[in-house]
Amino acid sequence: MSLYSSCTSAASSAGSSVSSTTKTSEIDCLLAGAGYRVRSSDLRHVAQRLERLDAAMVNSPAEVSQLASDVVHYNPSDIASWVDSLLSEFNQTASLPSDLPELPELVVGPVLNQTVLAEDAWTDHDAPQHQQLNNQFPVMTAMEEDSGIRLVHVLLTCAESVQRGDLAFAGSLIEDMQSLLARVNTSCGIGKVAGYFIDALSLRIFTPQGVGFGGGVGLDAAYENEVLYHHFYEACPYLKFAHFTANQAILEAFDGHDCVHVVDFNLMHGLQWPALIQALALRPGGPPALRLTGIGPPSPDGRDSLREVGLRLSELARSVNVLFSFRGVAASRLEDVKPWMLQVRPKEAVAVNSIMQLHRLLGSEPSRNSPMEMVLGWIRNLNPKIMTVIEQEANHNQPGFLDRFTEALYYYSTMFDSLEACTLQPEKALAEIYIQREICNVVCCEGSARVERHEPLAKWRVRLGQAGFRPLHLGSNAFKQASMLLTLFSAEGYCVEEKEGCLTLGWHSRPLIAASAWEALALPDANSPATAPGIFVNPHSNPPVNSL
Amino acid sequence: MLTMRHQPRPSPRPHEAMQRKKAEADHREKKPKFCINDHIDILIEILKRLDGPSLGVASSVCRLWCTIARSDSIWEHLCFRHVSSPPPSSLRTIVVALGGYKQLYMVCVRPVLSRLLHSDLVRSRVWTRDEVQLSLSLFCVDYYERRLLGDTSPSSLMFLCKPVNV
Repeated sequence: MSLYSSCTSAASSAGSSVSSTTKTSEIDCLLAGAGYRVRSSDLRHVAQRLERLDAAMVNSPAEVSQLASDVVHYNPSDIASWVDSLLSEFNQTASLPSDLPELPELVVGPVLNQTVLAEDAWTDHDAPQHQQLNNQFPVMTAMEEDSGIRLVHVLLTCAESVQRGDLAFAGSLIEDMQSLLARVNTSCGIGKVAGYFIDALSLRIFTPQGVGFGGGVGLDAAYENEVLYHHFYEACPYLKFAHFTANQAILEAFDGHDCVHVVDFNLMHGLQWPALIQALALRPGGPPALRLTGIGPPSPDGRDSLREVGLRLSELARSVNVLFSFRGVAASRLEDVKPWMLQVRPKEAVAVNSIMQLHRLLGSEPSRNSPMEMVLGWIRNLNPKIMTVIEQEANHNQPGFLDRFTEALYYYSTMFDSLEACTLQPEKALAEIYIQREICNVVCCEGSARVERHEPLAKWRVRLGQAGFRPLHLGSNAFKQASMLLTLFSAEGYCVEEKEGCLTLGWHSRPLIAASAWEALALPDANSPATAPGIFVNPHSNPPVNSL
Repeated sequence: MLTMRHQPRPSPRPHEAMQRKKAEADHREKKPKFCINDHIDILIEILKRLDGPSLGVASSVCRLWCTIARSDSIWEHLCFRHVSSPPPSSLRTIVVALGGYKQLYMVCVRPVLSRLLHSDLVRSRVWTRDEVQLSLSLFCVDYYERRLLGDTSPSSLMFLCKPVNV
């Protein structure tokens, strides 16, 4: 590459003395000598495309003759667009169903690895990183890549026929996909993700409706789910980011309060709370008295997992001298929780923490009192100092199946990509099973069985705004902490972004999880002077006001 | 081995210090022999300036050095040597409750520092309070996981122990 750059710098210095346009100085001079017009910035792109074209021509020689005779090309000296047009011709002559939606950006995720590898090969042959990358992401042959692209197209066709109701055709496509899978590397990349989606689709097509998948049905599923959740926590930074960001916001909101109460909508192993307890212990001015109410599914066999977690947290709090008390609320669905179960006391500052739980309330049929409205209503009545909401940044609640399927394919490919960097086993394998269950629920289930109804941050803003909440900006401390956390994770590719006071964590500029904080807008006074002239007590100030 | 260049001044290695002292002692035969082990306060001052691996080496010199090198106060000094502002006094009870400064250093501070230095372009590094706080939080989560799920459970800090792969 250095040869070309020195050439272009020479060209640019020559260009300044000649009265030509600046465009000429960008053209690669070596290729220009051979009669081809290629911009130096495009060289890498052209080289890649030429490689792909070469491989494609080698793999399907029968189509080359067709290419030579039927296709018309303009401006052969403009190599970049000429090669592109040749390649697109090749893709079109492959045997694909004709009524496919054109969605090129879908393959960016898993195929990105392959193009990154090619770029490195072009620039620096001796880089030791190249070797590492080679071991990390096995090089895909052009045929594999081609099969990968076909797999995606057939997946989408299958989903579309499921939406149409043509299950027979969808079933036959499943068989096609199984055979395509055999030609692709299923241990990583598009092969792995496609495998999971094919399984989910076949479950949907071949199993009678009404059976719930991946929604955590049954009591044993709750325990399994905890284990899988823990491994997902270890294998990738999404949950850690969620916990640390929420803790930072809660810590800042509790500043100046001596009695604080945290309500956790999904306790699991309580991994979020040790860090908060420790941060409160180190608070200048001393720790407050902390109460934690953890909500979780009921445990089978008389095992009280909520209580066990509470005991360990109390132990930790005691050893760092924080006054702590714990209460567990067992409920299989969030809408079954009633505010009196939380026993909120009047003078304490309340924080509500919801990590990927609110979207589960979107599932039932629209009725006058939807669960979402009900739950948001009683949260608001608690008058919390802060409500932290962490949700998947995806639109998996669209009514149309094909849209949902497409979005899920893109989202989970990106997530699996990010997981490739994890080398810890069995954490990685179990984390993948955790994600696979989510995929199953999004693809296979309908109605109340489908609980994974993810919605993007923009929709949550609207919904929470309408329910009487005001956004709180997550401060720069949260952002710094999130960036530091990511530096500690070995894979580079994660990115933290801040948008209008909310933080998102993503992989290669695709946000995957969004964290936001909210506070309840002041409730309108129950007894206003207009309706009840007489003695009234303002609940927000101490001395009763006598208006007579 | 943590490189010495991150410290403000070069530190003597223990055996070099010993050798120098011995050479001096041999040179001046008439003066009484100087043995570092008789001056524990000086020894502590010297050991306080070593890095983690050197402290490990120092602890195998003799029993006295072993006792001193393993004392938590030396590791406390090591943990916060590079911090820009002194840590709050309430920190000690917490760290001791969670396993002690040596544990904090070996399991958390050392990998975090080396990982942060890896990606940091600035060479002379001072720890900020935020980084201290993050390390402590991770340490705390790790302690909790061991208590709740046993030592065989997946550890929050395992990702720190694996080598950087990109």
